[in-house]
Amino acid sequence: MTPLLEIDDIYASYGGALVLDGVSLSVDEGETVGLIGRNGAGKSTTLLSIYGVPTVRGEIRVSGKALGKRQYEPASRGVSLVPQGKRIYPNLTVEENIMLGRASGRKGAWTVARLKELFPNLARASGRPGNQLSGGEQQMLAIARALMAEPQVLLLDEPTEGLAPVIIDELIDALRVIQEAGTALVLVEQHIRMVQQLATRFVALGKGRVVTQGAVGDLETRAVQQLVAL
Amino acid sequence: MNLAQVLNGLALGALLMILSSGLALIYGLRGVMNFSHGALYMLGAYLAYEVTSQGLSFWLALILAPLGLAIVGAALELGFFRRLQRRSHIEVGLVTFGIALVIDRLIVIVWGDNTLPVRAPKAVDGTTNVFGTDYPTYRLLMIVVAIAMAAALVLWLRNSRVGLHIRAASHDTETSGILGINVDRVSLVVVMLGGALAGLAGTLAAPYFSVSPGMGQSILITVLIVVVVGGIGSVGGAMAAALLLGLVQIMGNVWLPSVAVLVPYALLIVVLLWRPTGLAGKRV
Ligand SMILES: Nc1ncnc2c1ncn2[C@@H]1O[C@H](COP(=O)(O)OP(=O)(O)OP(=O)(O)O)[C@@H](O)[C@H]1O
Ligand SMILES: [Mg+2]
Repeated sequence: MTPLLEIDDIYASYGGALVLDGVSLSVDEGETVGLIGRNGAGKSTTLLSIYGVPTVRGEIRVSGKALGKRQYEPASRGVSLVPQGKRIYPNLTVEENIMLGRASGRKGAWTVARLKELFPNLARASGRPGNQLSGGEQQMLAIARALMAEPQVLLLDEPTEGLAPVIIDELIDALRVIQEAGTALVLVEQHIRMVQQLATRFVALGKGRVVTQGAVGDLETRAVQQLVAL
Repeated sequence: MNLAQVLNGLALGALLMILSSGLALIYGLRGVMNFSHGALYMLGAYLAYEVTSQGLSFWLALILAPLGLAIVGAALELGFFRRLQRRSHIEVGLVTFGIALVIDRLIVIVWGDNTLPVRAPKAVDGTTNVFGTDYPTYRLLMIVVAIAMAAALVLWLRNSRVGLHIRAASHDTETSGILGINVDRVSLVVVMLGGALAGLAGTLAAPYFSVSPGMGQSILITVLIVVVVGGIGSVGGAMAAALLLGLVQIMGNVWLPSVAVLVPYALLIVVLLWRPTGLAGKRV
């Protein structure tokens, strides 16, 4: 079976030094992969490479077909990102932020109503501008916006960053619903617990390379913990 | 100050409003201060002159000139802004300055450097009584058209899908691209629209000020000041600042005629000291 998303031996840089030094990662339909590693390991850069944010060498394929250079292409082919720091538009309302997801031009089952059901907080905040939301609400909004694009694979870059434990629990519930809808996830996390609860497989980055990978169960072993050193 | 003077202020403000909203939109999307905006406005005025001097109706000019300038806008976007999007603002700004010089020269070559008259259409050539003051009907029309245009623009930006994409992309281009917005296409729409608005402003201004080389340069400075006073990149701020400047300028003309040319600069300094990010104050 062709993987949904294949990152094939990519090298990435931001103008100067190499940040990714031959990273590969593939995601199958419906599965959840945890992407872990220390600060600065290159997790965000790996996800952003799909959108050509850094300068990238190497091939990235979606359902077996190479991605071109256009930044808007991945979204239209079913790869959506919930970026680190959420990147909510402060000047747009909750509703408008959600509707931006429709820019992917894809059709599917997610509607504003269904998303508000998944994230009741957003329903309450619906007319407010993005800059008047709490961190948790912004995170839910970033996920809702990405789902509105009807992705086959949803990339989440540290969705729990800065959130209170109760909110994290709500987030986990929501992510389970998304998994059940058949969406594949790539979950970048510093919280190993999140990866253990949601993923089946993990890939660990260190200094721009894949240092180890395996089943989530292996995260308990000391050898892996030393390599990952979270 | 009498009513006619207030209306003159509004007429100037209305023109500045159409010009500065286009400039602010282009700045938002491409991050470039389009120094050729004044030249586009002037080209609009000359196209209006050309259309009417061919014996065709001024109303037709009101459509043709914006269309022509939309095409010039497309050429600017495809030929320069898109290619230069990764260059510094100063570099692209200089390029637009060069474009302005080229357009200025071309206009002199084609139409000469005399001031040319454009007649307002017969139907609006007289005066209308506004609360007891006789005021040129054409200028009233100018105010109405410009304000209707500005209102339509705001509604479109607020309520349409493209408008949403424009507002998003001008706030954060990269995230917009990641979300699936074709920023190049949005930008093409915006620069064409900015060009068309400049063409419309030029056409509207033609019967009021007549057309002459140099009309572009002189209004450009004022429009740039309006955009800065409004809060760079903010369309609503630019519109408010345009009306404010129009009125303040006319007050200056009436009360302090010897220093009235300095009014825009004075307003600029006051606003920047009092509110460094401009009236809308969202971004620096
Ligand atoms: N825009 C940028 N310009 C230059 N260097 C960058 C940029 N973004 C990231 N880097 C550098 O690239 C390296 C990898 O950064 P990246 O953000 O991918 O790490 P990360 O694994 O996501 O870290 P974190 O857990 O802190 O988010 C770091 O050394 C970082 O300093
Ligand atoms: Mg990161």
